[in-house]
Amino acid sequence: MTAIERYLAPAGLDDALAALAGGNATILAGGTDLMPQINAGKVAFRPILLNIRRIPELRAVEVGQGRISIGALVTINELKDNPVIAKAVPLLAEAADHFASDQVRNMGTIGGNVANASPAGDTLVPLLVLDAEVELASATGRRSVPMAEFFTGPGRSVRRPDELITALSLPLPRLRTVSRFVKFGTRPALDISAVSIGFSATLDGGRLSDVRVAFGAVGPVPMRGRATEAVLEGAALDAAIIAKAAATAQGEVKPIDDLRASAWYRRELIHNLLGKVLSDVVSR
Amino acid sequence: MNAPQHASLIGQRIPKMDAPEKVAGKTRYIQDLNLPGQLYGLILRTERVHARIVSIDTSAAKALPGVRAVLTAADVPIHPIGVNKDNPPLKGDKVRCERDEVAAVAADSLEIAQAAIKLIKVEYEDLPPIFDPRDSIKDGAPVIHAAKPDNVAMAFDYAHGDVERGEAESDVVVEDEFTLHRVTHCCMGVSGVIADFEPVSGNLTLYSNTQVPFLHKREFAEVLGMDPSRIRIIQPPIGGGFGSKLDIYPFEPIAVYLAKATRRPVKLIFTREEEFIASPTRQPAIIRLRSGAKKDGTLTFRTVDVLLDNGGYTSWGATIPFVMMQTFSSLYRVPHCRYHTKAVYTNNPFAGSFRGYGNLQATFAIEQQMDKMADALGIEPYEFRLKNAQNAGEVTGQGMHFKTCGFQDCLETAAGRSGFVEKRKALGAAKGLSGVRRGVGMASMLHVGGGAKIYPSDGCGTILKLDDFGHVTIMTGASEIGQGSETVLAQLVCEELGVPMSAVTVVNNDTDITPWDVGVHASRTTFIAGNSAIGAARKAKDKILAAAATVSNMKAEEMDLKGGNIVRASDGEKVMPLAKMLRQLHFSDKAELVMTTNYYEPPSVHQDKGFKGDVSAAYAWATQVVEVEVDTDTGIVKLLKVWAAHDVGRVLNEMGIEGQIEGGIIMGQGYALCEDMPVVEGHLVNPAFRDYKLITAPEIPEMDISFIETMDGEGPQGAKGVGEAPSICMAAAVANAIENATGVRIASLPFTPERVYSALKGRPL
Ligand SMILES: Cc1cc2nc3c(=O)[nH]c(=O)nc-3n(C[C@H](O)[C@H](O)[C@H](O)COP(=O)(O)OP(=O)(O)OC[C@H]3O[C@@H](n4cnc5c(N)ncnc54)[C@H](O)[C@@H]3O)c2cc1C
Repeated sequence: MTAIERYLAPAGLDDALAALAGGNATILAGGTDLMPQINAGKVAFRPILLNIRRIPELRAVEVGQGRISIGALVTINELKDNPVIAKAVPLLAEAADHFASDQVRNMGTIGGNVANASPAGDTLVPLLVLDAEVELASATGRRSVPMAEFFTGPGRSVRRPDELITALSLPLPRLRTVSRFVKFGTRPALDISAVSIGFSATLDGGRLSDVRVAFGAVGPVPMRGRATEAVLEGAALDAAIIAKAAATAQGEVKPIDDLRASAWYRRELIHNLLGKVLSDVVSR
Repeated sequence: MNAPQHASLIGQRIPKMDAPEKVAGKTRYIQDLNLPGQLYGLILRTERVHARIVSIDTSAAKALPGVRAVLTAADVPIHPIGVNKDNPPLKGDKVRCERDEVAAVAADSLEIAQAAIKLIKVEYEDLPPIFDPRDSIKDGAPVIHAAKPDNVAMAFDYAHGDVERGEAESDVVVEDEFTLHRVTHCCMGVSGVIADFEPVSGNLTLYSNTQVPFLHKREFAEVLGMDPSRIRIIQPPIGGGFGSKLDIYPFEPIAVYLAKATRRPVKLIFTREEEFIASPTRQPAIIRLRSGAKKDGTLTFRTVDVLLDNGGYTSWGATIPFVMMQTFSSLYRVPHCRYHTKAVYTNNPFAGSFRGYGNLQATFAIEQQMDKMADALGIEPYEFRLKNAQNAGEVTGQGMHFKTCGFQDCLETAAGRSGFVEKRKALGAAKGLSGVRRGVGMASMLHVGGGAKIYPSDGCGTILKLDDFGHVTIMTGASEIGQGSETVLAQLVCEELGVPMSAVTVVNNDTDITPWDVGVHASRTTFIAGNSAIGAARKAKDKILAAAATVSNMKAEEMDLKGGNIVRASDGEKVMPLAKMLRQLHFSDKAELVMTTNYYEPPSVHQDKGFKGDVSAAYAWATQVVEVEVDTDTGIVKLLKVWAAHDVGRVLNEMGIEGQIEGGIIMGQGYALCEDMPVVEGHLVNPAFRDYKLITAPEIPEMDISFIETMDGEGPQGAKGVGEAPSICMAAAVANAIENATGVRIASLPFTPERVYSALKGRPL
């Protein structure tokens, strides 16, 4: 058994970064991923337990210079209920509405969801579609990493152990942007996604541009559907294009068989649900 | 002036007596109980599913400070438990499933016990395993228990009539194989026990969640080689049973062994994960059913072959074929029936008893075939059912005598209120397999409703006393496990004694105080314990009115008890307060207290060797109609509405019975749609609520519940038992509704989105 030797709950970011510098601290945000993982023996505490919840600047939501910055400690329920977020990036609010239950949403944070790097993380697909960047800070400096380059495998990312996620930074969507999020689970509440789809595009004169499609839980990391995007970019959404995009998506995802669904079924869902999403975009 | 009218309590909406405490979070469950000097018990379970134990090294665990005892099979008497006596609480020679207990620790804290468990080293030699019950009975299959070289834990054969003749008379014959999965009870209160062994007196007190305290006491005495009269079982409030607490399980004797070894009380409570892994499940079953009917829609025969996955050991659950048999032989008029069931050993987790006791499985098979046969005959399925449904007075081939029978009323009510016939026709006519489709489905059930005489006695005892102030204490053998029995017993007694609910205390959780009862099972408590309590109350009433006759100018028969008073029966005019009469009896020359006892044994009979006989004092019926929506793009089945019509004899507590039926419907819904315990190579893959999908609030359908009151002559105030009934029809009704919506019939459960989608695409399941 690894014992926690020190528990720290600093109020300042610099103190937190200093505690992290040695790379031997476990970061605690909402604890809704961390604690079940510890209890199941999948993760062990490092000698320092670092509670970041008392750092005010990690809670900030700011809009400026064509971007919105969402602090790492913003909870899933805040994503759903914060009017600034709902107005600027409604897709995130929509995803939050499909997330877990109120109890978990009150505790779980967007930073924790990203850091946990589960292929089924429900904010990741919208963040990918919205071209978000992950803001990282350490005692030695700051950097931003595009979402599309952040994940390296299930539970793994390019974040170093001495780095903290401070915020997610997103460009504000352009005018006439349409976006959708669908999550498929076996029940309407409290379920882990078997697949999820995010879609965003500018719809102008019946044609799509700046198309971004992302898929969750169909590969080792949440993925952008580049081939599907290529089919849709510049296209007018008619039945033939929708069918082609759905078939392309079905082909480009790389799901596995697991407890939640078989690979075959996941591909079928991607096909059928993307078709539904696109038909829905046309009909509005 | 008119005398006050005292409305009857029967049929009222009466909140459960224990509800305020539960809602306020004040109920003290076993988790909240701690005895002075108590130690914490923990079990080391095997990680192998079929292996010989070569050696167990406990030295490091024993050396850990704070560890008070480490036990293995070598330290305790070998006395296997279970109906087949095949389950030694601690395994010495071999392990047979992932639950198996190989060692146990008692320590000063749970943390120390956890650390100690990790220090125990067990060496195994793997043996060839069996995971599919079909493999258990193949030639040359590995033997799981040496005492049963054929791997058959139990077998049952039953017949009435002549099925060959029945088949010859049939115009339509259908045959199908149905596959039923494994689910578990998911009681909010996990399993646990505190064993308190007093070394000086030799007395053993068990704080236990059992639902069968008196049978438990007997079996404990056997296992521990103790005098049963030295064992006292106290049940703290139980957080749900549903059949899961019907057996004695290894953890219970283990806690006693630890208490004996340490001379300290030992508390052993499961974690949720342990509850999933090591508490019983419903039996997975493979059912082959062949049935026939004549052109006019008369059923001709049924032949049934059932294979049950017993798992590694045998619990009471292996006797579910008794109940399945009743449904196969007697749900509808079946002139000829032949039934065979085997429960076979595998290296899977072992199954136990679960609400419905085999009836969900049997009804799933029968009610799907009823639809199939109706379609083959070109008869409306509702009409087909109605034609074969029994009436009061009929006796089935198995000897069940339906003294009251609301079957046809249930069918008519559920069909009428749901518009079943028209809906089924309209929805079934819409062709094509795209988009969201709707369908309706119907299923009916038969279950015991007046106990079940499977033990030497199916009785229950009551002791009743009144104090000087008119307060009544009911001491009953019947356990409260959340079903609301204490409320209904209090209500029945209040009705007899004319006192308000607030004047009653129910004592039902201490074997040193309460009289014998066979246990909470077979939907029997309201019926059996209710009749027992009524009998005790009537004796008290007779005594009180006889005394009143000596001090008034009226005869006992001319008086009654109402509103806390002795009243004139004809007009309710007050004669004297009840409490005053009680004091007069007590403090007069007579010096008497009003205390009565009663033991009620239902007029049912034991089945003979051929399983024939009128095993219950009454039978419950129900028909449920469901409406579903099937999303053909995803396979998601949404349950929109349930119409449930139940023959309940009579409604005693309307609020209680509604709760019972709503809860049962949801449990049946979970069985039908989402609950599942996939076991891969003997290991449960989802021992957590994250991956074991219970129904959550948004999925609960609208419900339209109708009560058919047949006023059973033997029932307490006319009531029948209904505890198990509401969950039984759901899976069958949903299967029929999916078929109506999509034209695709699915013979295996559960109807998860992927299974349904695969079936719609014609992909093998
Ligand atoms: C019942 C239940 C249901 C759930 N349902 C869903 C669901 O529907 N969808 C979904 O996506 N998830 C779900 N989850 C998972 C979880 O709630 C989310 O991933 C949540 O967003 C995690 O946030 P947290 O703040 O609780 O993270 P924590 O548990 O505190 O942390 C998670 C991981 O990230 C690290 N970490 C946290 N914050 C930072 C930071 N700022 N910088 C660097 N590292 C950090 C921690 O060290 C830890 O390794 C569910 C969990 C539970 C228990």
